[in-house]
Amino acid sequence: MPMWFARGLRRGVVTTRYPARPEPSAAGLPTPPAFDAQRIGPALADRLCELCPSRALRLVKGDGEAGGDVLIFDVGACTACGRCREAAPGAVTASGEFELAATARGHLVKRIPLRGEARP
Amino acid sequence: MNSLTWCYAAAAGWGLAAAVALLGAAALGAAKGVMRATCALSALGGAAAVVGGVSSLLWGNSRVVSLGGAVVVGTMQLQASSLAGVFTALLGLVAVALAAYAPRYHQATAATAVYLAVYNLALVAALAVFAAANVVTFLVAWESVALLCYLLILRHPRREAVASGAFWFLALSETGFVLIVAALVILATQTHSMQLDVIAARAHLVPAGWRNAAYLLALTGFGFKAGLVPLHVWLPEAHPVAPADGSAFLSGLVVKLGAYGIALFAFRLLPVGAAWLGLLTLAAGAVTAAIGILYALNERDLKRFLAFSTIENTGIIVIAFGAAMVFGSYGQRELWAFLLLAGLYHVANHGTYKSLLFLEAGVVKHTAGTRDMDRLGGLIHRLPRSAVITLVGTLGIAALPPLNGFVSEWLIFQGLFQGFRTGSHLIGILIVLAAATLGLTGGLAIYAFVRGYGIPFLGMPRTRQAAAASERGQPTAGPGLLAAACVALAVGAPLVLLALSRAVATVTGVALRPVLLPGNLTVIPAHTDFSAFSPTYLAVFLTAVTVVPVLIYLAGRPRAGSVTVPVWDGGMVAFRPRMQYSAMTFSAPTRVTFDALYRPSVSLRRASDDPAGRSGPVHYESEVTPVFLRYLYRPVIRAVEWLADAVRPLQSGDVNLYLLYVFVVILLAYLIGAL
Amino acid sequence: MAARSGGDMAARSGGDMAAREVGGPVTGPALDGRSGEAGRERRVAADLRARVAGQFGRSLHIRTLDTGSCAACEQEIRLLAAPHYDLHRLGFFFTPAPRHADLLMVTGPMIRAFDVAARKTFDAMPGPKIVVATGACALGGVYPADAFTHGGIGGILPVDVWIPGCPPSPLALLQGLLVAVDRLAEKAAGLTFTAAVPAEEVPR
Repeated sequence: MPMWFARGLRRGVVTTRYPARPEPSAAGLPTPPAFDAQRIGPALADRLCELCPSRALRLVKGDGEAGGDVLIFDVGACTACGRCREAAPGAVTASGEFELAATARGHLVKRIPLRGEARP
Repeated sequence: MNSLTWCYAAAAGWGLAAAVALLGAAALGAAKGVMRATCALSALGGAAAVVGGVSSLLWGNSRVVSLGGAVVVGTMQLQASSLAGVFTALLGLVAVALAAYAPRYHQATAATAVYLAVYNLALVAALAVFAAANVVTFLVAWESVALLCYLLILRHPRREAVASGAFWFLALSETGFVLIVAALVILATQTHSMQLDVIAARAHLVPAGWRNAAYLLALTGFGFKAGLVPLHVWLPEAHPVAPADGSAFLSGLVVKLGAYGIALFAFRLLPVGAAWLGLLTLAAGAVTAAIGILYALNERDLKRFLAFSTIENTGIIVIAFGAAMVFGSYGQRELWAFLLLAGLYHVANHGTYKSLLFLEAGVVKHTAGTRDMDRLGGLIHRLPRSAVITLVGTLGIAALPPLNGFVSEWLIFQGLFQGFRTGSHLIGILIVLAAATLGLTGGLAIYAFVRGYGIPFLGMPRTRQAAAASERGQPTAGPGLLAAACVALAVGAPLVLLALSRAVATVTGVALRPVLLPGNLTVIPAHTDFSAFSPTYLAVFLTAVTVVPVLIYLAGRPRAGSVTVPVWDGGMVAFRPRMQYSAMTFSAPTRVTFDALYRPSVSLRRASDDPAGRSGPVHYESEVTPVFLRYLYRPVIRAVEWLADAVRPLQSGDVNLYLLYVFVVILLAYLIGAL
Repeated sequence: MAARSGGDMAARSGGDMAAREVGGPVTGPALDGRSGEAGRERRVAADLRARVAGQFGRSLHIRTLDTGSCAACEQEIRLLAAPHYDLHRLGFFFTPAPRHADLLMVTGPMIRAFDVAARKTFDAMPGPKIVVATGACALGGVYPADAFTHGGIGGILPVDVWIPGCPPSPLALLQGLLVAVDRLAEKAAGLTFTAAVPAEEVPR
């Protein structure tokens, strides 16, 4: 008991100051991906949709302006497993966003219009 | 009118009631009208007894009246004494309540008519015990009460356990009677008088050895009737098998006969004896109180539970009397008188709420079909009026403010806490030990009565019969009267104390009133530098305090409608009422803590040794060892049986041997006469 | 994707408060601040939020409900009470009794066997009450609806706040709780999850 107390005095306050101040350890958290719409073609989009183990990605063809595809990304279903990032490191990066609470389920379903014509 | 005249009126009322019951049954057959007439007369007699009791409290001992004729040895003499005033008033109150209760409880049959006649005669006999002015009257009345109560308990002689319960009552009552006769005979022969007043006046001339012997015999003899441990075993046997109003009469009154006897010897006949007698009484009371409530916690049967609670309260009364005797021996006259007053107050309180609880136990039995707590539950919704009345009685007996049990226990505690005034460290410590035991008893009593009220009345019904209970046609006037009396005894405590202090002044010669009640409804226990408390203000304050949260709620509650949802049961899909606390599991912690006293034995039998769930039926039985029955009474009973067997050859049936006995006795008579 | 719109606090607190949120960008009518009807709803919603913040802002009792999760969310929730995150400093407390709870924190995909218990727990909470769906399972990801599970709690309980993550870190849980009591603004609605990757980082 005294050793615990002494250790506590040495360490000081370990409690995070969040939300008053940002938490440094948050940088290492796994987070949902961010998509670079310009670099994702239909083939890549199809592959990403198949890869996602929790069915968070869905491709709607021809739904965007100028007839392009729309990638529907359900952030709520995303488990931040990183498979989409590993498959396309040039197009998908970690978003770094962990403050994802939403007051409506629809706020978590994101429409990402992809570029119009196919590019290899 | 003279208080004795009121007692005559009461006796006349009850005698008439008995006559009406018997004659009405014989002439008109089993009629409800006969029963109502009997009970009306009984109630009138009860009212007269209340007035007589209160007036004898206030105006002291009446004159001694001799009823002519020779009963065995000497005449019957009656006197309405102050000491008996509380008991007489309690008798009257209980009689009125039972008279209101009986018509709705009993079926109108010939057996009921006989029962009511016997009951009213028992009331007369009990009144005679309280009004007895000489030894013979006392003994005759005492024995009459015992025999009549035996008949009361035997209301349904063919039912299970009734005969054995009644026999336990009679056997122990007779054993006690022998000892009481011995005690009174000692005093009568030593003082050369049969009259109680004269015995009291001449008692200081009796040698100390005889006095102590008489007191010890009286303590034991009256202890059989009052229920002092280990002389208590008849109480849990007899109370469950008697009808509800019979049990109420037994616990509310007949047990008080024992307390009256002890008070008679300790305060009137042999006042201020040796300190060790008081300490012995105090110890007996403390042990009784603790053991009584500990065994009460292990009972599932409502009436057995209440019977053990009666034993506990007898212990409390005897604690008060014993401590008073100790203070008296050490010259503390104010505390001597004060603790007598506290003990008498507790007599009145206990008689009131215990009778109430037994009457309600009868209602529960009739409506829900069982007295087993583990087969009841949820009765507060099905028997709302009975539930409220029982709650008043439960709060009273658990000694919770602001009701009457709290007042009398507070008085006893305050008396005990002043043990330091005796001047002797040892005595002070022993008195404090008794106070600690009383504290333990009080805490366990609250525990026991939370169980005794919560399991049957609260929660959900555990059986279909309990769920089907209905209050229609059940008696509420009688128990309601007793509940009102409980409240009156609490709120009107200053008046009660006024009357009791006058009675105590007559008995002990100590005028407590100026110190006790300094005028503004406050009570001060005997010495002004110790403590003070006002029961009336407390009752008013507690009532007012409960009003404030209600007002806050009414003013501030949300305007929107509220939703009623089922009780939170942990989210179970199917919550069965049997999953609730049962009476035995609620008291399981005491079985763990006090297992040296209980020595519980558990037997567990499985149909097979398969892992749990597939082993077939499991039989679980847990028993608390009946220590007194097994280790005290069985050996005595076996010894008596052995002795009877040994002596049996005397009764051989051979006429010649009997003639030899006659010859030997005549020869001995001649020899002794010649010497 | 099951996209039930946010919870209806009117039904829960049994009174005069209007719906907290109506629809979302994909499935429901869009909230247009210009029309009178939507403007009134906005005002009522703002009033409701103010009331919620006043009632729960400084002291909130949380009851967690596991409807069949893998317990990873539970481990993160447990960490909230540990010294590093310490939700007590924000006025949040855990309570096992739904009768004392203001907020129901639900994890797991709502297996069908749990229906009765979940309904009873929710009903036992006195209004006003908040429901927070925690973790990807509760939000409808990971497990689709089938014979054993409803696939998310959206259709069973009226949810006010959705916290994604698998499991959501204690910081995400704290943010979600603070959003639920209106002490922090919601960020998720404004996020797009699109980011241009600089040319030098694209692998050849």
